[in-house]
Amino acid sequence: MSDALQILILGITLGGVYALMASGLTLIFGVMRIVNLAHPIMIICGAYVAYWLFNLYRVDPILAMPVAAVFMFGVGLVLYQLVFAKEAASAKYSEMTVLLTFAVALVLDGFLGALFSNTQRVTTPPYATDAIVIGDLFIPTAQLYAGLISIALIGALVVFLQFTRMGYAIRATTQNRTAAALLGVNVGFISLVTFAIGVALAGAAGALVSFVFSFFPAKHWEWIAVLMSLVVLGGMGKLMGTIVGAFALSIVAAFVGTYAGATWSTITFFLALFLVLLIRPQGLFGDPIESA
Amino acid sequence: MPELLEVRDAVAGYGGGPAILDGAALTVREGQIECMIGPNGAGKSTLLKAIVGILPLRKGEIRFRGERIDGLQPHEILRKGICFVPQERALFPRMTVRENLRMGGYVLEDRGELERRIDDVLGRFPILRERASQLAGTLSGGQQQMLSMARTLIVRPTLVMLDEPSLGLAPMIVVQMFEIIGMLRAEGITVLLVEQNALMGLRHADWGVVLDLGRTLFEGPAAEILADPRIQDLYLGRRSRAA
Repeated sequence: MSDALQILILGITLGGVYALMASGLTLIFGVMRIVNLAHPIMIICGAYVAYWLFNLYRVDPILAMPVAAVFMFGVGLVLYQLVFAKEAASAKYSEMTVLLTFAVALVLDGFLGALFSNTQRVTTPPYATDAIVIGDLFIPTAQLYAGLISIALIGALVVFLQFTRMGYAIRATTQNRTAAALLGVNVGFISLVTFAIGVALAGAAGALVSFVFSFFPAKHWEWIAVLMSLVVLGGMGKLMGTIVGAFALSIVAAFVGTYAGATWSTITFFLALFLVLLIRPQGLFGDPIESA
Repeated sequence: MPELLEVRDAVAGYGGGPAILDGAALTVREGQIECMIGPNGAGKSTLLKAIVGILPLRKGEIRFRGERIDGLQPHEILRKGICFVPQERALFPRMTVRENLRMGGYVLEDRGELERRIDDVLGRFPILRERASQLAGTLSGGQQQMLSMARTLIVRPTLVMLDEPSLGLAPMIVVQMFEIIGMLRAEGITVLLVEQNALMGLRHADWGVVLDLGRTLFEGPAAEILADPRIQDLYLGRRSRAA
């Protein structure tokens, strides 16, 4: 029993981190129909910000998180204006963005590789190797912190989207772009800001990831698949679906990892993706796919 | 003194395609209900889309209170005081009725005033009040149309443009739609209406415009258009008495 509880807690904390990693991806897709294949490399950018701030100035990666988020927000603003703003009116925008974001991912991957080489890194704050022991339960402190902060950030994101004026504008633009424009929403500006918020979330997630997983530039290839499976499982662009999907899959992966061996735990994500595409292609929370 | 809305020699089309509007003209006078009629493909919806800036003009000009507004973005047009309800009703399906109304007042800075106006609108439409916390996507077609028209009352625009509000609705509901149009006029809002049901539309209008093949064929008092035998033959679906 305590075994199951232990695995559940590990699954939930990891789920929080995955949910945060995927939330920016789903937000950007929801508002702009951009399939951001560069999202995972942006997470790695955030991880490097935290890594270097820690190794050069001894800044705790949790304190470095807002710095990484603000830095990546700026990167998002510039990137959107340079790469994505011009074609936003094109009918084939979604398809085009797959190629554009893939190119961005390749460029950032190469750039980071040249700058920092492809060696494994991990930020090592004092709590990185600690654990909290309660009776039989053993919870790694770093994972607990990362999970709780992720959950808090996602909570803040949901409150922002539900209750602020800009949150209304973002949700409205997601659901009906033309209608939002007709009601006075500057959808071009909202797209820009949402893209930057999504990239900032990647940066924040990166700072947390930097002390939970070891990372190197090319690691993002692995994460593209994992994060896309979460986003598709939840229903493309549906934040709630992505969050639920992230927790569900992480918990299942934690159980699989314990009882079947760690090598099998990653396969959980792809098996779930495979099954969802077969049985419910619109995802858990998606609208039914209209037949053409 | 310029009229409220003036469109001159408007030419527009979709993408690189042929011109759907080919010299259309329109004048809307303040305080009136104006009904635009014409066969399918005449360019009625296209003209409304060009006015709100969803579709750019290739040629011609649009003036609102004498000021050029062609070339502006849809969100800028709304701030000028023009509110457009397209055929597809432009609701947010995964937002509640109340949230949809709140989006209707997106441009209002004063949140307290916005909530007062929402309560005022809900007071006038008891069905919407009952369903205030229901998702808009789960409303019936008539209720959705009612919501999208009621939503225009929140911003209190100068001009409301409605694209076929009666489309796909039961006759009894259509009567309600025209009651709402009367309500808009009573608020001092000018209405430009595109209507497939030309008889019904013209009967409720002060002024009529006949559009065909992207051009304005005729405009005049709605009663005159209703009585004109040529227009009856061509656009009102009545057999000529001689036949």
